[in-house]
Amino acid sequence: MTWLIWRQHRTEVCVLGLLVGLFGVGLLVLGSQAHDLFPGGPVRCAGDAGTSEACTAALRRLDEEYGYIENLLAAFYLMPVVIGAFLGAPLLARELEDGTWQLAWTQAVPRMRWLAAKLAALAAVTVALTGLFTAVITWFRQPFDVWEGRFQYDAFDVEGLVPAAYALFAFGVATAAGAILRRSLPAFGVAFGAFLAARMAVASLARPAYATPLTATEPVAAGGATDQTGSRPAPTVADWMIDNGYADATGRRLTTLEYYELKDAADRAGANLNQFLHARGIQEYWVYHPADRFWTFQLIEAAVFIAVAAVLIGVVVWRVRRRIM
Amino acid sequence: MTATEFALRTDGVGKRYRKGWALRDCTLDLPAGGVIALVGPNGAGKTTLLRMVVGLLAPSTGTVEVLGHDVTASTPQTLSRIGFLAQDHPLYKRFTVAEMLRFGRATNLRFDQALAERRLATLGIPLDRRAGTLSGGQQAQVALALALAKRPDLLVLDEPVASLDPLARREFLQVLMGAVAEGGVTVLFSSHVVHELERVCDHLVVLNHGRVTLAGDIDTLLAEHRLLVGPRTATDLDRAGAVVEAVHSDRHTTLLVRDGGLPAAPGWQAQPVALEDLVLAYLRRPSEPGAAVTSGVAA
Repeated sequence: MTWLIWRQHRTEVCVLGLLVGLFGVGLLVLGSQAHDLFPGGPVRCAGDAGTSEACTAALRRLDEEYGYIENLLAAFYLMPVVIGAFLGAPLLARELEDGTWQLAWTQAVPRMRWLAAKLAALAAVTVALTGLFTAVITWFRQPFDVWEGRFQYDAFDVEGLVPAAYALFAFGVATAAGAILRRSLPAFGVAFGAFLAARMAVASLARPAYATPLTATEPVAAGGATDQTGSRPAPTVADWMIDNGYADATGRRLTTLEYYELKDAADRAGANLNQFLHARGIQEYWVYHPADRFWTFQLIEAAVFIAVAAVLIGVVVWRVRRRIM
Repeated sequence: MTATEFALRTDGVGKRYRKGWALRDCTLDLPAGGVIALVGPNGAGKTTLLRMVVGLLAPSTGTVEVLGHDVTASTPQTLSRIGFLAQDHPLYKRFTVAEMLRFGRATNLRFDQALAERRLATLGIPLDRRAGTLSGGQQAQVALALALAKRPDLLVLDEPVASLDPLARREFLQVLMGAVAEGGVTVLFSSHVVHELERVCDHLVVLNHGRVTLAGDIDTLLAEHRLLVGPRTATDLDRAGAVVEAVHSDRHTTLLVRDGGLPAAPGWQAQPVALEDLVLAYLRRPSEPGAAVTSGVAA
């Protein structure tokens, strides 16, 4: 079976391997230059140390010289679906469209063994390729993460455990769609659509709700933001900000309209806005997930996508077992 | 007779798809050895039946037993005793012929590589060509060589020659019959072409509208049936349900009867019937439940 699986899927594996290899090497080369900006390693510029002169200079150069690559990394959101769907779509669909399922399942290898071997091998390749690529991106992003945290979409979605889970999800959708539609290309399309829809929905709706966000409030300081007196500091850039705004003295949150009315009133009175707000007991609030929840959130999101992938693979197994091809 | 002397036994087999029954109440006992033809028009349920015989489809009702084993179990042992050549003889188009043989070796318990190579060499099919670049006839031969190299006890072929030109068709049947002559293998194949069957087959199963309408040993069937020609008559002709078909011309009535050779009524002439006419007469009959007529070994 090993030889057969390799012979049947080597084109996909080689193309994807080449893709991961090329982008990976490119990122390693550029990334090592970016890392060189931080002689002691980027982690030394994390937190308060980031305000030191050397770190500020390094971060500025990083932004100027490599910021554009960071923006390009957004394209790699699609890497998991390309890998997973490209390997999953033909697994059954190609056999069904060419009629070779009748050849494959009438040899002495029982179909469930055939299916188990194929699913295991191709899922393993999916995870390995995505994992490798994620490792490179995670390393590449180290200096950027020091600066921006890992909770933003351009970090969280391409680092850690979730890309491999996304890829398995795409693999599951593509395999199941291929079994039902009996065509590789439409199966690939379905996987692509499902991937974009699921990813967007989960990232924007489900992810913020994995845990109850923390809320920090602080009275507006008369002298502006630098005059920090509160015992509960505002979240840092590494935290994931969900909501931010103003509340009145009783803690009732102000709508944007109410805030602008206050601002207009301050302008009409010719007063300094901060002093004006301070005098009225207005406080600023932040709703956020602290940066140390990163791995918890990664685990939860990975589990969600892997669970869906498992259900889809279950559908495939059920169809093949029940012989409804 | 013990169970293993049957190549194939089906009991009340039916297959239901979403749009209805493709096959109903199919009960067959086919002996091991020899060549069995499954005949019927397109859409009669031949492919469905064959796919159930090789374990590709699960029956909705009834049981299928091949060589004494329930095929739905699909163990490597039962699978390796059945060779299957699907319609349009699918191959992995991008594999070379040698790789197709390697596929056979990798996925079978007993695969006779030398036998396959010998057959392909005799036919002049190069091992380094990609399967997809071979002619239709050559692809069919590769698929057949692959199925025969399994050294199956039952070889099932679905419309093996339907897509081939007359020359390739003849060559294919020659190879197939050569393999049968070497012995040990029972062949079950489907066809919607009726002529030439007599030369090739020992057994016949006629399938129409998802039901078996006739099954039996060909020699026995031909001996049991005959044509009676007499003056035109419109009266009730059925003698104990023996009339299969009545055809009236201006002056004569021709009856196809299954009476086992009873003496003809006065004024009627008896003639033997050709296999093709026999099959066509059964295919023309309106389908009705329980109309299956079987004879031969099962009787």
